[in-house]
Order: sequence, then structure tokens, then C-alpha cells
Amino acid sequence: MKSRFVLRVLLANLAVIAVLVFVVPHLMVSPGPLIAGHRDLESDCFACHTPFVGTPASECIACHKVEQIGRFTTKGVAKTDNVTKAAFHQQLRQVDCIACHGDHAGVLKYRRAAGRFSHAMLQPGLLKQCGTCHSAPTDALHRQVGPDCAACHGQERWKPATFDHARFFVLDRDHNVKCATCHTGQDYKQYTCYGCHEHSRGKIADEHLEEGIRDFENCARCHKSADEHDIRWDGRDGDGFRRSRHD
Amino acid sequence: MERSLLRREVAPFLLMFVSLVAAAILGDWLLHTFNLVWIGRWLGIPGTLLILLSLLYSLRKRKLITAGSPRSYLGLHEALTWQGTMLVVIHAGVHFNAVLPWLAMIAMLVAFASGLTGQFLFERGRRHLAEKSDLYRQRGLSPREIEREVFWDATTLDAMAKWRKVHFPITLAVAILSLGHVVAILMFWNWS
Repeated sequence: MKSRFVLRVLLANLAVIAVLVFVVPHLMVSPGPLIAGHRDLESDCFACHTPFVGTPASECIACHKVEQIGRFTTKGVAKTDNVTKAAFHQQLRQVDCIACHGDHAGVLKYRRAAGRFSHAMLQPGLLKQCGTCHSAPTDALHRQVGPDCAACHGQERWKPATFDHARFFVLDRDHNVKCATCHTGQDYKQYTCYGCHEHSRGKIADEHLEEGIRDFENCARCHKSADEHDIRWDGRDGDGFRRSRHD
Repeated sequence: MERSLLRREVAPFLLMFVSLVAAAILGDWLLHTFNLVWIGRWLGIPGTLLILLSLLYSLRKRKLITAGSPRSYLGLHEALTWQGTMLVVIHAGVHFNAVLPWLAMIAMLVAFASGLTGQFLFERGRRHLAEKSDLYRQRGLSPREIEREVFWDATTLDAMAKWRKVHFPITLAVAILSLGHVVAILMFWNWS
């Protein structure tokens, strides 16, 4: 008898909880508060969610017209700030809002940690226009180089940079100079060693001709280690160097 | 004398509860330290499955399953509920969001504490029935038969019967609140 009473009280409490789920869903089941712009939708889950389906992009686009993102507000008012960055939405391969966006604070924590954005979602033409979204670093190295970020950095992550200068030439303490010293005209596919007083063209020519070497213009092909006595060349360009040493 | 009784009878169950909380805090700390919080988001699933698996004991107790030793099922029930509860607590503890899942977790911890109380009552009953097992032995029953007889005697003690009347509604509350949480997740999850 007593246990039946306990059971009834319990079921009554559970029924109250069930009612609260529908009356105040933002408190009972929502994974954290919504972002500031969506606060008005806090208690209307189905404004964005379709039961047992998710949040289709069509629900987002109903308010956020893709062609207006970054240019106009959802009320149709022209934007004057942050126009350039957000406008990249018009260059997406396909509209998949939740691939990057999560509006609940509880969900955002996981998404930020996982890093949801992928450059693969952008149209190929935009991938070379890094500056439309990213600001160029202002450190000493990046102040010297041109705008071709992809020459050193991949699309997946900024660090580590994919470019390893030592693959072509080791920048030891004697060669730790500004890029433009060797790569004149901001062309990093070309270089010259003659910009330094140690390597005047005449001096280099004398040293090599004395050894019977006439093809000496491509210095790094044999002197990759930056040590003038450490000469590696197998007779062809590439990585398959054979080691020899001249004293 | 009283202190010794406390240490022998109550301390092991308190230790079980404290170890659960400590393991959950440690797990949560590890996930945050190694930036693996996303794992905590999924731990509710294995935790729930372990707890559901532990209910095999209830099926054995109600003789819906007849194979296997009841004592083994009880051991399995204790081990799986400890592990399952620990995983669910880590899952819940990663971040505080909605009220319903937290009610489910609190109910689950109450059920866990209730389970420990039942275990305490059962062990105490077993000790009282130790004398009875001597009697069975004198009657010529095999050790396995004695174990089975003593086990069922212990589970039918009056205190156990009263405890079960409390434990069942708590477990029911856990089941309903957890189900509510699971349905809400399934309903609002981005499946597409």
C-alpha cells in the first residue's frame, strides 16, 4: 500500500517534469543558451530543428539568404562592417550551415575544439585569395614574402608550414639573412648567391674553373648544406645526392 | 567495537561510492587536460549500455534467465553499474547544459547509492545466514547447492524486500528521466 503511494508520487513528479519539458524546453533539454542573435528563438526549438532530422540548411536560409550574408542583415539592412569576411559564404561549394555553425553554447564548445571549418568547402577559385579572409602575419619573415601563402602553408592548418627551406638549402648561421638577399624581386623560385660579398661572381668562377667545373651557376645543387666543402651531386638535379668532399 | 563494525560493514560501500566519484573526476580532468572533451560527449552511450547489460541480474533474479550462477550475475551487476555510472557521470560532468539530463544523473547516483545500500543489507544477511549454511552442510548438501540456497535466502530477507520497494521506484525514475534525455537527443540531433 505504502509502496504504491510512493510509486504514485514518483509518477506524478515525472509527469510534472514531462510537462516542463514542453513548457520550458530551453531549460529542460536545450544544450545551453543560443547565440545572442537567436535569443528570440530560445523556447521555439522547432524554428530551426526538424524532429529526428536535424537542422536543415533550408531553415537557416529562410532568414539568412546566402547571397546577402555579410552584405545585408536578416532584416535587409545593408551592412557597413565585417563585409569582406562573411561574404565568402557566397563562394561555398554547397550550403551546409551546421558543418561550421552551432548555435547552442554547449555544442559550440565541442565544435570550436574540433575546428569544423574546412577550406575544401570553398570554391577552388577562392582558395588562392587567402587575403579576403585572413590577415597577413606581420612578423619579420612574412613582411618580406609575397601573397602566395600556398607556397609554404597548406589548407589544413597554418602550422607546421609545409615549406622546408633545408630541402633546398640549409640556412645556417652564415646564411641566416633576409629572403630578399637571395630571392630578389620576391620570386622565390629563383635565387642568387652573388648578392653577398663572400660570393662574388668572379671569385666563384675562379674557384670552380680551377677545379675544371664550368657549370657552377646553380650553387645549391651541389652546396645544399651551406658548407662549401660539403659537395653532393650525382650529376642530376633532385634529392638523390651522392656525397663527396673536397678539402 | 562500534568503530570496527563501521569499518567492516559500512566502509567498503562508502569506498565504492567515493571511488566512483574520484574516478569520474579523474576521467573528466584527463579529458579536459588532453583536449579530448569530445569523447565525454559520447561516453553516455557505453555507460547506458553497461547499465542496461547489468540488468541481466534482474532477469536472472526473476528467473527469466536460468543459466549461470546468481552470485555471478550479482557480481556482474555490481561491476557493470559501477563502470556504467562512472562513464555517465563523466559524460554529464563535462558541461552543464539542461535540467533533464542532470535530473537523470542525480537519480542515477541516488540509484547507485541505493544499490550500495542493498549490497550492504545483502552482505549482512549473508553473514546471518552463515550459520544456516552449516546446517545445510550437515544435511549433506553439496557446496554449490549450499551457495544457491544461502543466496536465495539472503535475497528474500525482510530487509531486502523492504529495500527493493525503494530501489525499484528510484530505478524507474532513472529509466524514465534517461529515456527522456535520450529521446530529446535523438529528436534534435543533426542526423543529416
